[in-house]
Amino acid sequence: MNIPFDQFLIQTINGIVTGMILAMVASGLTLIFGIMDVVNFAHGELFMLGAYVGVLTLAATGNFWIALIAATLAIAVLGAVIYLTTLRPLIGRDPLTTILATFGVSLVLQNYALWQFGPVARKIEEPITGHFSLFYLEYPYYRLAIAVLAVAIIGGLWLFLKHGTYGIWIRATTQDRVMAQAMGIPVPWVLTAVFAIGAGMAAASGVLFGPLVGVNSQMGTSWVLRAFIVVVVGGMGSISGSIAAAIFISLLEAYASLWVSPAQAVIVSFVVLILTLLFRPTGLFVPTPK
Amino acid sequence: MSVAEAAPAAPSVAPTVEGEPLLRVAGIHTYYGKSHILDGVSLTVGRAEIVGLLGRNGVGKSTTLKAIAGIVHPRSGAIAFDGQPVAGLAPHTVARLGIAYVPEERRIFPYLTVLENLRTGLDRRGVSKARKAALLDKAYAYFPRLAERRAQFGGTLSGGEQQMLAIARAMMLEPKVILLDEPTEGLMPSMVSQIAQIVGALSREGVAVLLVEQNVPLTLEACRRVYFIEKGVVRHHALAAELSLDHSAIHQYLGV
Repeated sequence: MNIPFDQFLIQTINGIVTGMILAMVASGLTLIFGIMDVVNFAHGELFMLGAYVGVLTLAATGNFWIALIAATLAIAVLGAVIYLTTLRPLIGRDPLTTILATFGVSLVLQNYALWQFGPVARKIEEPITGHFSLFYLEYPYYRLAIAVLAVAIIGGLWLFLKHGTYGIWIRATTQDRVMAQAMGIPVPWVLTAVFAIGAGMAAASGVLFGPLVGVNSQMGTSWVLRAFIVVVVGGMGSISGSIAAAIFISLLEAYASLWVSPAQAVIVSFVVLILTLLFRPTGLFVPTPK
Repeated sequence: MSVAEAAPAAPSVAPTVEGEPLLRVAGIHTYYGKSHILDGVSLTVGRAEIVGLLGRNGVGKSTTLKAIAGIVHPRSGAIAFDGQPVAGLAPHTVARLGIAYVPEERRIFPYLTVLENLRTGLDRRGVSKARKAALLDKAYAYFPRLAERRAQFGGTLSGGEQQMLAIARAMMLEPKVILLDEPTEGLMPSMVSQIAQIVGALSREGVAVLLVEQNVPLTLEACRRVYFIEKGVVRHHALAAELSLDHSAIHQYLGV
């Protein structure tokens, strides 16, 4: 079958935009996994609650950017509270307990949202409403803005980790928690802060993506599933690997939907996941283990 | 609030009286699961004193250091540092009080550069920029190899360089005592004598060292006093100078 070039280009842009959002969700997830070996099953619900905080703040202030910042901060605080009350008491226990605990938190948050906000999806208005002509489409500027903002946020995270004392503390704790603490690094606070950063990034992604899909209590589920796939394919704990995998998988799905329906195109990511686990279980986008 | 402040009597008296050791470990017991690792270890380290801890493998020497560093919490017994009880405190609190720990495996952060490894101990509140620069300069003067490799990842260093980095990293905390676990293990002879010199230099600067070693001649040369530990208990304690003249204790507790 012959695919016209314009469709191919549009899908490339779509794939990159979705990929950047996915990269934001996944890099928070992989940051948390890397430093505390916790697979956070409540990550999608932090994404969803972030979107709801965005809806509420937007209704109150009328400013999308204030809503974005408010949601990020509020969910970061919520993440810290979840960490301190649910995960910190489980340090040193079987990893299975943290999986069950975060899964339990995700159910509580999801049903809280359903009870509080009801089953009807809420709308976040796009802050940028302009369009430009892209072949036969009127392509919204906002989608490009999402990609740019996501790059900026991920870049900010990278700079934060790479430079400065707190970045060194986080990386040292990720590499050797006990030795980090023996060097005087306040590891309990580092872990709490990292969980809060991951939660805040999920919330920011939720607000950014809200205008494209509508906000409902289930919206986190599909994202977190895809983010898990990305984290595994990218190499557990590797942020750069997650970013690469997010874009790779989103592009593959976007191209696949040239032939099949978008719902069927999701299969591609599972195929990539299975192939990765079979042939390169340490991850596609990390150096070959010695 | 410290214990000294809470005590009703004589608050004006400094908590460390003359002659009180810097570090006092009194009858600590630790367990790993159900096995009893330390069965009442007691020892003291004076200010700027170099003290050795000798014993066969698996008798609890490393566990003693971990207990002092706060990594293993003793189930009973007391640890006092600078007149303050420290048993049960979190390791990062203990480190900031002035107890630095250099583990047997060195445990360099493999994906931090040499400079970043040093900064894990250096970036503390209340340390001025000038002081940080001075501490780095001192470490690089002690270990010029580290200065050459400051931008390299810790994991790419050789074993000897990693040991240098581990000691330099501990020095960044400006500790009053360094707990040094088998620093010469697996090193070339030239490196071994360099480590011995560093230990002496630390002591001259006023830093005490509690040294766990397998290398008996090095321990006797570097240390003022030596404890012998066996099955989790201190069995014997003597001045290093006496042990150099009379090897019977060494034969008895180390079987060499």
